[in-house]
Amino acid sequence: MGWHKMLEDSGFDQITIGPAVDTFGGAIGEQKARSFEVYGYAFLARRP
Amino acid sequence: MTTELPVDVDTLRTQVREKYRDVALDPHGQHHFHTGRPLAARLGYDADIVDALPDRAVESFAGVGNPFSLRQIQPGERVVDVGSGAGFDSFVAATHVGATGRVIGIDMTAEMLTKSRVTAGELGFGHVEFREGLAETIPVETGWADVVISNGVINLCADKQAVFAEIFRVLRPGGILQFADIANGRPVPIEAIRDIDLWTG
Repeated sequence: MGWHKMLEDSGFDQITIGPAVDTFGGAIGEQKARSFEVYGYAFLARRP
Repeated sequence: MTTELPVDVDTLRTQVREKYRDVALDPHGQHHFHTGRPLAARLGYDADIVDALPDRAVESFAGVGNPFSLRQIQPGERVVDVGSGAGFDSFVAATHVGATGRVIGIDMTAEMLTKSRVTAGELGFGHVEFREGLAETIPVETGWADVVISNGVINLCADKQAVFAEIFRVLRPGGILQFADIANGRPVPIEAIRDIDLWTG
């Protein structure tokens, strides 16, 4: 996932990514989100 | 080293401001994303904390995930909320840190800042403040924060590496970034990436 690499490149470590959440399900933007398989995620990272 | 950005930064900021001004002033209007208490429930926020907040603190919430799901904020911690909007995540963090902690919310949209400041006053949350600023130039001193949170904001920034560098700066060594954002499972064509309307809608 691109976020993981960006966090690593920025100097963060101990990176954790949570499960996908259907953020847009039932919303007006659902169809557009589905077309690119867009979901929400939680991220955790530490500054060494 | 310079990296070519896919969109014009100022144009994107203007459109993001307009979009979230609408969410601040008309939270129950037609938006392409969910908002408010239904969204907080959908994303698994602690119902006891959300229920204790007034509607004004929750109705303009437009996050994309739960930045508190992977780690609980601890009492006494100093938290920066990047893109604090109307303050919902800041108020959740403020509940966790308690009176011995502090929360600083940063946002670039005047209507959101006004709303969050009024709500903080109504709640009597003296350990929360909201400052005008950008994610790329966070108005917080170097190494101040134990924790940085953010929710659905970094994806709206053209230069994400600049945002992460700035978050790295404000965190103390050993400090934690816990945020929520969107990711796509299918590649987005470059023409779509350059279409600013798709960033905010």
